[in-house]
Amino acid sequence: MKKLTYFPGCSAHGTSEEFDHTLKLVMKTLDVEMEEIPDWNCCGATSAHVMTENLAYALPLRNLVLAEKFTGNIMGIACASCYSRMKTTKVHMDENPELAKKINSTIIQEGNYTGRVEVKSMLQYCYEDIGLETIKSKVTKSLAGLKVACYYGCLLTRPKGITKFDSPEYPVSMDQIMEALGAEAVEFDFKTECCGASFSISDTEIVESLTGKILEVAKESGAHLIVVACPLCQSNLDMRQPDIEKHQGKSFRLPVMYLTQLMALAFGYPESDMRLKKHIVPVEEALSNIGKIQEPPPKVTKTKKAVSAESEVE
Amino acid sequence: MLTLGLEEKNTFLEAINKKSGANVLECYQCGKCASTCPVSDFMEFRPRVIMQMIKLGMKEEVCMTDSIWFCLTCSACSGRCPREIDIPAVMEAIRHLTIEENYHPKSKKVKDIRKFHEIFLDMIKRYGRNYELRMMAEFNIRTRNLFKDMHLAPKALLKGKIPLGHESTKSAKAIRKMYEMAEKLEKSK
Repeated sequence: MKKLTYFPGCSAHGTSEEFDHTLKLVMKTLDVEMEEIPDWNCCGATSAHVMTENLAYALPLRNLVLAEKFTGNIMGIACASCYSRMKTTKVHMDENPELAKKINSTIIQEGNYTGRVEVKSMLQYCYEDIGLETIKSKVTKSLAGLKVACYYGCLLTRPKGITKFDSPEYPVSMDQIMEALGAEAVEFDFKTECCGASFSISDTEIVESLTGKILEVAKESGAHLIVVACPLCQSNLDMRQPDIEKHQGKSFRLPVMYLTQLMALAFGYPESDMRLKKHIVPVEEALSNIGKIQEPPPKVTKTKKAVSAESEVE
Repeated sequence: MLTLGLEEKNTFLEAINKKSGANVLECYQCGKCASTCPVSDFMEFRPRVIMQMIKLGMKEEVCMTDSIWFCLTCSACSGRCPREIDIPAVMEAIRHLTIEENYHPKSKKVKDIRKFHEIFLDMIKRYGRNYELRMMAEFNIRTRNLFKDMHLAPKALLKGKIPLGHESTKSAKAIRKMYEMAEKLEKSK
């Protein structure tokens, strides 16, 4: 049995409770023992780094220090924003031991940072440490018939010098996991476009504009639903979708599910464990495609509509 | 001779380079950042222009523009920059400078964005963690925008999307102490 030190992040105990719940089910099936850091604190994303330097390092660093008290060598993080802050801090601290020592000794009084623990997003952990073969071997209910658009957002693979995982432009790890579950991962050009993240509350206009484009391209790709591994992406794409449809005069009706919800489904957990009632855009119709026999698709190359603002020049 | 006014020492450029760890002078103005940036459309000065303004030492203009507050740190620009300049770090360095030196852009949008970040940091200071519902409510009250997103609330609450209660952390005390120390460290610079 593998051991994983787990950092859930604030939204796992709030808006993305279904992510946290299904992640735990999935890890149980995959023989991973998760140890949640009992006294974790908010990593400061997405505000601390915008406003102040020392605190932006200190908040994640405290969690890294606490994680070293566990036997596990990897800290798995559910939220992509938390992952980004934690990993950035780790990389900067490891590159600059003097700065690490200064912040550690003056601000954090709960232990010394050695840099022993590795930081990974749960997507990265599933892909690198568990592997596609193992995931495939645990599937009891294939998702064949379901077409998904895998949306990574900005932070799971960027900046590449920090994450050192997958491609910053066109990542494939989540697509391959979905295919291991039997689903079809469609070609999707907006995989790593930003959804507007933290502006969800402070500048909704920007979020609706960015998220609207992502939904539009996902719809064109022919997917039944969007798969995500980030609570902020999920709530922007799902909770704000009805408003976006209204304001932009379009109809998407695209459910947005967590990677782990679909993994749990494929591993044989009942639908009641997916917490499907929490979705604003209903998922039942999309999931009804599972198991449907599909006619072989006619091989015609689609002409994709150019999406505005892509080729924008000053 | 055309000198671009660069005979004087460009202290702004030096400060930004030092804070960000980037070298803004390496920018050769190809504009890839501006065409990549998802929020370019909302900016008065797009990233390419900001880089040039820093080179020209236009501190007042750069520190007072809304544009630097729209950067989402999504790192799309730096990933495509042929000079591999960490543009989000440059944007961050400018924002930190504006806070340290008390620059206040006047638009309501930027005021709202800054207010959001302040409430967020305040929330962590008080509880050690962040509570989404409380934060949304506080944001609406403090920006006098009482009914923003209220139409989402019934559905979100009914579906259990946003839980009402919140847990208390033992870490709250330790976090408050960290804030004090961080502030001291900031001042001692």
